[in-house]
Amino acid sequence: MKSAIFKNKVKTWFSQPQNIILLLFGIVLTFSTVAPIVAIVQDTLKIHPGTIDQHLTGRVEGYTIVNYIDLFTSRLAKTNLWNPLLNTVILSVLTCFISILFGGLFAFLVTRTDMKFKRYLSSIFIFPYIMPQWTLAVVWQHMFYSNKVTGTSDGLLAAIFHIYLPSWWCQGVFPSAMVLGLHYAPFAYILIGGIFKNMDANLEEAATILDTPKWKIMFKVTLPMIKPAILSTILLVFGSAMGSYPVPHYLNLTTLSTKYISMNSTYTGEASILAIIMMVFGVLILGMNQMSLKSRKNYTTVTGKSGQLTKLTIGKAGKYVVGIVFMIITFFTSIWPIILFALETFLPNPGDYSFLYSGNLAHLTTKWWVTNQNITESGMYGQSGILYNKTIWHAFFGTLLLAVICALIAGTIGTLIGYAVAKKRRSKWANYVNNVAFLPYLMPSIAVGAAFFILFSNEHINLFNTYTLLIIAGVVKYIPFASRSSLNSMLQISNELEEAAIIQNASWIKRMVKIIIPIQKSSIISGYLLPFMTCLRELSLFLLLCTQGFILSTTLDYFDEMGLYAFSSAINLILIVTILIFNTLVNKLTGASLDSGIGGK
Amino acid sequence: MKKKILSLLVASSMLLAGLVGCGSSGGSGGGANSAGTGTEQAAEELTGIDAIIAEAETMTLEELAQKAIEESNGKTFYGVGNSSRGKSALPLFIEYLQTIDPNYNMEFEWQQPKNNKIFEQLTSDSLKSEGTFAMTLIQDGNQIQSKMVDTGILKTYVPKEWAEANGTTPDEYEGFLPLQTINKVFMYNNTGSAEYTNCWDFVYEGSHPLFMGVDSEIVGKNFLMMLTKDEYAGWLKEAYDALDADKKAYFEPTIKAMQSDANDLGLGANGAYALAWIKLWINNYNEQTDDGPICNTLVDKSAKDQSGLLVYSKLRSVEESSSVSVSNINVAAYQDGYTGIGGYGYSHYLFLTKNSPLPWTSCAFIAFMTTTEQGFDAWGKDMGGYSSNPEVAKAIEETYHHSEGGGDEFPAKNDRGYDWWTTDGKLVLEDPTYCSEVSFSVGSWIDVQDHYSTGEE
Repeated sequence: MKSAIFKNKVKTWFSQPQNIILLLFGIVLTFSTVAPIVAIVQDTLKIHPGTIDQHLTGRVEGYTIVNYIDLFTSRLAKTNLWNPLLNTVILSVLTCFISILFGGLFAFLVTRTDMKFKRYLSSIFIFPYIMPQWTLAVVWQHMFYSNKVTGTSDGLLAAIFHIYLPSWWCQGVFPSAMVLGLHYAPFAYILIGGIFKNMDANLEEAATILDTPKWKIMFKVTLPMIKPAILSTILLVFGSAMGSYPVPHYLNLTTLSTKYISMNSTYTGEASILAIIMMVFGVLILGMNQMSLKSRKNYTTVTGKSGQLTKLTIGKAGKYVVGIVFMIITFFTSIWPIILFALETFLPNPGDYSFLYSGNLAHLTTKWWVTNQNITESGMYGQSGILYNKTIWHAFFGTLLLAVICALIAGTIGTLIGYAVAKKRRSKWANYVNNVAFLPYLMPSIAVGAAFFILFSNEHINLFNTYTLLIIAGVVKYIPFASRSSLNSMLQISNELEEAAIIQNASWIKRMVKIIIPIQKSSIISGYLLPFMTCLRELSLFLLLCTQGFILSTTLDYFDEMGLYAFSSAINLILIVTILIFNTLVNKLTGASLDSGIGGK
Repeated sequence: MKKKILSLLVASSMLLAGLVGCGSSGGSGGGANSAGTGTEQAAEELTGIDAIIAEAETMTLEELAQKAIEESNGKTFYGVGNSSRGKSALPLFIEYLQTIDPNYNMEFEWQQPKNNKIFEQLTSDSLKSEGTFAMTLIQDGNQIQSKMVDTGILKTYVPKEWAEANGTTPDEYEGFLPLQTINKVFMYNNTGSAEYTNCWDFVYEGSHPLFMGVDSEIVGKNFLMMLTKDEYAGWLKEAYDALDADKKAYFEPTIKAMQSDANDLGLGANGAYALAWIKLWINNYNEQTDDGPICNTLVDKSAKDQSGLLVYSKLRSVEESSSVSVSNINVAAYQDGYTGIGGYGYSHYLFLTKNSPLPWTSCAFIAFMTTTEQGFDAWGKDMGGYSSNPEVAKAIEETYHHSEGGGDEFPAKNDRGYDWWTTDGKLVLEDPTYCSEVSFSVGSWIDVQDHYSTGEE
């Protein structure tokens, strides 16, 4: 009898797809998440030949805690640990603040006001996220550096207008946070905008009927409703800023990530401890997010009886003025870099804008595009022009393949997890799966890359420089994009919608295809597009997993570091055009896209 | 299957050489340097890759080419290196083999990992019974010594003809096999009024030379460590003595302050001069991501009086325009009356991996690059890179005329050559053994020095 009840219980349990999803991905993701962590922890204890631990222990192999002792107590502790840690925290907090303020404000204006030029602005606003983050840092250098302040050649402002901006503006934490903040603002825009767009106006209308002041409605009704999106943005942006290597590297800020790379050769085990510290921060933020989730009661905003969204009127002139202000801002954050990229591919030398001072267009060149032989003269460094450069095009198709596969796998898994977690939101296992799926995102990309390298480079299996390894790392790292995007939207869907379908005997697949997915199409598509876009220009994660020339981002970084900005700028243009084509294609085929899901159209 | 073929090759080569194997192929400690011992006693103890190297060191390039053709026809060759030019050299090598056997063909892949990844990649590959990478072209003698050679991961093969060209034999030669030496030299923008007539001027008050970070390119740190070697510390002392009284007075307190550190670190009589220069250099250099951007900056007329320490060959890639010109730059060591070090030199070394899947082909490829002009051509086009084979270096100069590459218009591009740089030009040359020895004494001392940030004075 008891066994029959048990069997029935098991059968009932398995009849719910969300349970199967949670069980399956709970197990798989535990391994894919825990294994890299174990690898890094092990690395902190391992003796590495030719590094400080060998010197301090006098042994060439085995395990030791000397790396911990040396990192925390040696006279280098301030240089190697505390200063970078402080810089990292400041950078991450500032980046979150800038991105939420800028992205959130823009999301509000697009979705809740009658601001003009929304369609254009909505499309253009995501450009900084499309571009690899350090390219904005390079643009920053080209704009603001000067011989007087940074000791380099003059940037555009110094050369043309003789404006010399102070050192804190040119290098360090401020420009790094600005660049990362602008880069991640589209994140805030997409996540917060998604909620704003789908928000039920009933609550605000009720407050209006009760004669509540507008500012009070904003702070007491509207903002609390978007709290999950703000928290998700903080989670995503904080972790990303903390793990960002290229931006602080280019803008001369020492963070845990840049230290990780610089210490890796001689202080290998200690560098891994820095990675662990970054992970601890990630786990802490995740814990804080969890506590906040526990306290909140209900964030259902989409119900069967949802009303029309009312839009705030910002005045006849105001709607144009605000629109134009944002057109100017987005011109400098989105269009200007592209103009500079395009221009760079026609300059005779990297950063050589002499045609502007001399007014002589003969100083422009097409050599970077059309040189069809391998020469070292004229600054080509043995590279063929972009149109004939096999390395660039090989990397392009490799990247495309990688991004499409990662997006499809991560998007599907993430969406399913988001759905299942939302359905079982009170279950501890669901919470666990949700967290374990999200954890890789909070780990610094460089550390995740290093961990996967260690995991898959041994005597039994060696996947270095293979798409398989990049796909595994990419999928694990990008599932959170889809799971967060999906979870946010699924939490808004009232259970009654699916229950109505169940009463009608609709199968799970039918319920998903006919009800759930159509309702939250834009968020779900975001869950595919975000991994796709991120993967296209991901560097930190893949830096250690493949060689340059294998994918576009490593090729781009190689050219940037070499100072061959014409090639890196061209790759940027290729990336932007590719993403725009895919965005348009998805838009035409499904009616949804990254930005149109939120506002604009 | 591959293993079987390799085993057969190894076995037959051992039989041919009359060797009887009884040791371990992996080996540790002595590394590549001990592999070249050609005595009968030593040869009898060699197996696997060591035995192949020992035999290869007795063979000519043509004989090796035959072995390579037998071994790698129709296969794929994987190489890894810090220089991307390996990729350009491989097709020339295949062309060469095709002159012997027109039917010969080999696929290849050349990887160039970034940052320090090459060491991890080679370490990881060494764990396999048969590796992926056949050979490597690698820089940073310090890490090569401690991570690759001391651990037995890389093996040195010295081509017979290369040794002969250098007046030695593979048995007698000690050290790694360099393909080339590359020089990084002090340069400065000459559109202003600043003059750099002494290497101490680069660390004088207000000077912030552009330089790649010592953590991002370890050969830069090796250069600083090398300065503490008696010979080079002596050069710094001589240069200091040539300074005027004002400048001497400026540097003197720092030199005095360094005396106790020099004693603690066990440095020679002039160690304090070396430490003072290093300290001031680290306190003042303006860190850049690569030599490319440094060169782009220095040749621009807006970079008045700015200086830098960068790879000499970068000058070859400058295109003249109204604001950018090679004539805007001076090579410090070429200026009349300049005193002191002119820069530093580091090598690209060639090694076989201990588990190389194509050892004969690797040996042949290494011999091809180090003993023929065609083999070095991928690097020879550039000034500032000098073949370790004097005959090849001579042939390259005859072909490319680097010594007069800039003519009267661009004197900075007239490369004075390896011999000049290592004597009159006072190039500090990397010594892997010394770097490795002081890596955690002088090296750690370097790590604790404060780095310059723009805006600081």
